Amino acid sequence: MLEIKNLHAGYGRLKILRGINLSVPKGGIIALLGGNGTGKSTLLKTISGLLPVMEGSIEFDGEILERIKPHEIVKSGLVQVTQSKESYPAMTVEENLMVGSYVRSDRNAIKQDLEKIYQFFPILKKRRKTLSGTLSGGEVQMLVIGRGLMANPKMLMLDEPSAAIAPKIVLEIFSNIYKISQTGVTILIVEQNVRMALLLAQYGYIIRDGVIMLEGKSEDLIHDPSVRESFLGGTVTDTTRELSA
Amino acid sequence: MEFDFNSLFAFIIFGITIGVVYGMVALGISLIYSGLDIVHFAHGEIYMFGAFFGLVMAKDMSIPYPAALIGAMVLAGLMGMLIERVFYRRLTRSGGGYTVAGMGMIICGFGMSVALMNVAFLIWGADAKPFSINLGMPLQLGNISIPQSYIITAVISFLLMGMLHFFLKYTKLGLAVRAVAQNKDIAYLMGINVPVFISLIFGLACALAAAAGVLIGPMQSVQVEMGYLMLMKAFAAAVVGGFGSLPGALLGGILVGIFENLGAAYISPSHKDIYAFLLLILVLMIRPSGLFGIEAKVKA
Repeated sequence: MLEIKNLHAGYGRLKILRGINLSVPKGGIIALLGGNGTGKSTLLKTISGLLPVMEGSIEFDGEILERIKPHEIVKSGLVQVTQSKESYPAMTVEENLMVGSYVRSDRNAIKQDLEKIYQFFPILKKRRKTLSGTLSGGEVQMLVIGRGLMANPKMLMLDEPSAAIAPKIVLEIFSNIYKISQTGVTILIVEQNVRMALLLAQYGYIIRDGVIMLEGKSEDLIHDPSVRESFLGGTVTDTTRELSA
Repeated sequence: MEFDFNSLFAFIIFGITIGVVYGMVALGISLIYSGLDIVHFAHGEIYMFGAFFGLVMAKDMSIPYPAALIGAMVLAGLMGMLIERVFYRRLTRSGGGYTVAGMGMIICGFGMSVALMNVAFLIWGADAKPFSINLGMPLQLGNISIPQSYIITAVISFLLMGMLHFFLKYTKLGLAVRAVAQNKDIAYLMGINVPVFISLIFGLACALAAAAGVLIGPMQSVQVEMGYLMLMKAFAAAVVGGFGSLPGALLGGILVGIFENLGAAYISPSHKDIYAFLLLILVLMIRPSGLFGIEAKVKA
């Protein structure tokens, strides 16, 4: 579905990504993992067309995305959900969701999708008339995921859905992401919460300093010593011991 | 001496009428501010151009007044879009009001203001031109007579602002305009063609200013330097109402209009233009974010 080959990109003259290779198969859930400042968000921005491609290529659904404008990329079915707290605070929840459906004109289907999203996230239905600026962090995250879904995407890119959200809500959001993928939407999830992301995804990429440091199946990555060392903070048994102490 | 309530009533009505016009210009300034993150200092000159467009159409080309109003709005809207596309876009593209380019934007606005004024001077000269239209007898309301031009002004202003409100609140395009105004990056990611909408916002704001110009024309006269004072008043109105808030701009305009008229009537007419700013200072002392002010928009 999404093929990235030898991608170089960045801000102005500052190159951040230096030769990224990444592939997302249709219907899959792929995780892109890395700490702060490793180039995760830069990669998403480049895929969405907000930053220019310096070198290499991005292919989505058989089309090269190089000089396409951001709004045309959304029309082709590739939608990015940015980090939480980026809703439209001065709009109501429902208006926020309707902004997501801007690229579509099939009114009836939009209404059905709205109901579908309210089923995924019942709290949004309860608060549909309130300004989204008053929502909690977790609710905003649900809202922006819902808004992304309103564009009826073939593929959804999620930027750190677990950031700044209570652990209990994170679980709810991740289980909903799984449900969304079951409806046939391909998912690329960018995370710092490596454990959760690898539980969800089938395959993972680890990015550091603008290059893919490691890639592999989730179960392999979870047991990889270098991943454990840099992200998971020691062994799993260590953590359980800490918790029980 | 007995207090004359009739004249007080009349002053308030005149204040509201002129106030909605301030509000309309303020609305444009607010729209541009929320959409482009810039304060448009040449907006007074757009208003002046709008008044001249209306004058030329109504007098020289003998087009009926309502058609001249619409024509002036369309022309000024197109002119605004052209200015935005050619001059402002390079600056807004490299970041809005919170960056170094934002400072350049302010200076560019001032420059545009001077340039437009001189263009108007070359075309129409420096003399104040009367913009008299025959609207029939003044309307009698009890003991006060209100000139028709005031009534038409109030009605048309409210109508235009009502239409704008409906457009922003209930149409898909309006929703997209608000999305672009609030957060451009997200708007891009939702598939909205942001540059086109910025043009649209600019055009709308300029059309409103032109409408204000054509409506004020018959009450005062049309001249090259009329933009400056209007900009200041509209600015005061926008700040009083809360910068970036659309209902605030309207309310701020009405307050400025009433305050100014009462001040001129009961304190001193020769200082008419001070009162708007007195109100501005007062409101800022009590509520720094304006009456309808929202917390300052902060970019991540």
